[in-house]
Amino acid sequence: MTHQIAIVGAGPSGCYLAQALLKARPELDVDLIDALPVPYGLVRYGVAADHQGTKAVARQFARIFERQGARFFGNVHVGRDVTLDELRSAYDAVVFAAGLAGDRRLGIANDDVDGVFGAGAITRALNGHPDAGPLPDLGVRPLIVGNGNVAIDIVRLLGKRADELSGSDLGVEQTRWLAESGITAITVLGRSTASQAKFDPVMVKELGKLTGVAIAIDKAGTADDERGKKLLDALAAIDGHGTGVRAIRFVFSHVPVSVETDAGRVTGLRCRTAEGDDTVIACTSIITAIGFEDTGDLPRADILAQADSDAPVYAAGWFRRGPRGTIPDNRADAQVLAADILADLDGTPAKGVRPVGAIFEGRPDVIDYQGWLRIEQRELAGADADRCRGKICDRAAMIEAARHQEETSP
Amino acid sequence: MKIAILYGTETGNAEMLAEDIGDALDADYEVSCTNLSDFPVTDFDPATFYLIVCSTYGDGELPASAQPFAEALAAGPASLAGIHFAIFGLGDSEYEETFNFGSKQLAELLTNHGAAQLGERPTHDASGADLAEDLALPWAKDAVALAESRFGKAA
Repeated sequence: MTHQIAIVGAGPSGCYLAQALLKARPELDVDLIDALPVPYGLVRYGVAADHQGTKAVARQFARIFERQGARFFGNVHVGRDVTLDELRSAYDAVVFAAGLAGDRRLGIANDDVDGVFGAGAITRALNGHPDAGPLPDLGVRPLIVGNGNVAIDIVRLLGKRADELSGSDLGVEQTRWLAESGITAITVLGRSTASQAKFDPVMVKELGKLTGVAIAIDKAGTADDERGKKLLDALAAIDGHGTGVRAIRFVFSHVPVSVETDAGRVTGLRCRTAEGDDTVIACTSIITAIGFEDTGDLPRADILAQADSDAPVYAAGWFRRGPRGTIPDNRADAQVLAADILADLDGTPAKGVRPVGAIFEGRPDVIDYQGWLRIEQRELAGADADRCRGKICDRAAMIEAARHQEETSP
Repeated sequence: MKIAILYGTETGNAEMLAEDIGDALDADYEVSCTNLSDFPVTDFDPATFYLIVCSTYGDGELPASAQPFAEALAAGPASLAGIHFAIFGLGDSEYEETFNFGSKQLAELLTNHGAAQLGERPTHDASGADLAEDLALPWAKDAVALAESRFGKAA
């Protein structure tokens, strides 16, 4: 009898896990369940619209469904549409790979005022996530707090001219928002020294291609390790780049102390410098890119406790480890986890009840892989001239597209 | 003539392409497909033709699964004289300065140790319009034909 595995979350961690499981045991039944009507999670909604090369990893994930026999159950919200207990009783193993989508807050005075936004929320809005709110007004001088690749993604997109977004899948509204932003200056600010920033040097260097910006690096200092030296080299390479209308300034070793406001509007970020001085950096809005945390959507602590016990419950990717590591790091992680799961399953008889009928029956809004293909077909057909895809950003429209049978026969 | 496909991968894209090439050649040849991380440098065999698929990661670096292989080869005195290979690179032109440096490094390392490269080193651009397999499958067939003429009837 074949074991049946449910993976909650069809993002990169869940997909890499399904891939590894089915590579080792092609006969397994693997179901990927996602709260969204569409698969691929962070690849679709986190990776920046102008990084299509990175998004191309989705082609691998498509094969899980097309060749390896995994099934997709989209638009299923675990905890609401299906309970954890239902999943546990139906499947031989349940894996939570739901990611960590919440923006970590600054934890300083006024960090919740209007004008302070999370980078994850902005990234989702830029990527046309159906649950993202509208893109906010950042004013002419946004400040990004954070020294990781998410901060770089945001500054790059804010700094790009319209012609530099050609070939991306940035939506019409998002394109207009960027074009009309009126931004004149962007500050990227971090607590750590430049050499300890988490930026990938290659992401920093990419900023040196932008044609509409003027980049300045404040006091990068020195590095005493190989990684730090590479990063400082990358920062030095872009220092002084360009004479464009949007000034980008990197500031290091500034610890945020409070958000300064006037009549409810953000006017600056008060910081303490390495020398112990108090300084206010003027800005019209603040985007926090200082890491991700649990949204509270799933009882993560309880699930992680079960994953640590003998129960056939597992956790993968950021949901398990916390918000560290790249997409390939999650691939390596998934391969290790797949081996663990298979070793556990080898010692237990399969339940043998195909769960689809019991759990997903009578739910017309469940989107299967064929439904996703219909959504994708419409997105690809609806792409503007210089876009590779015209994303459907509304959940109801996605469901409608998934249900729609093409009238043209082959 | 036996064919061994070796791949260096970080995200799995090169592995997928290597498997596609294996599937395409499988009917006509004895083909194996191995991750470079599982391939000891001492295993090269002159009677086998090597098709190598290698990506690039980070700032023009070799992908993780190729790094131990490259380190072992660079560290050792191993001679690859009499070994024939062809190589295909995967990269992303968003990072134009180091585009496809992974496959370039690997090709140089192999030839520096005496292996003979057959044909050019075609590259796929993840930010381009082509699918990797549309470029790599014709490349593999051409490379195998070239190798057959080189290996001659002795193989």
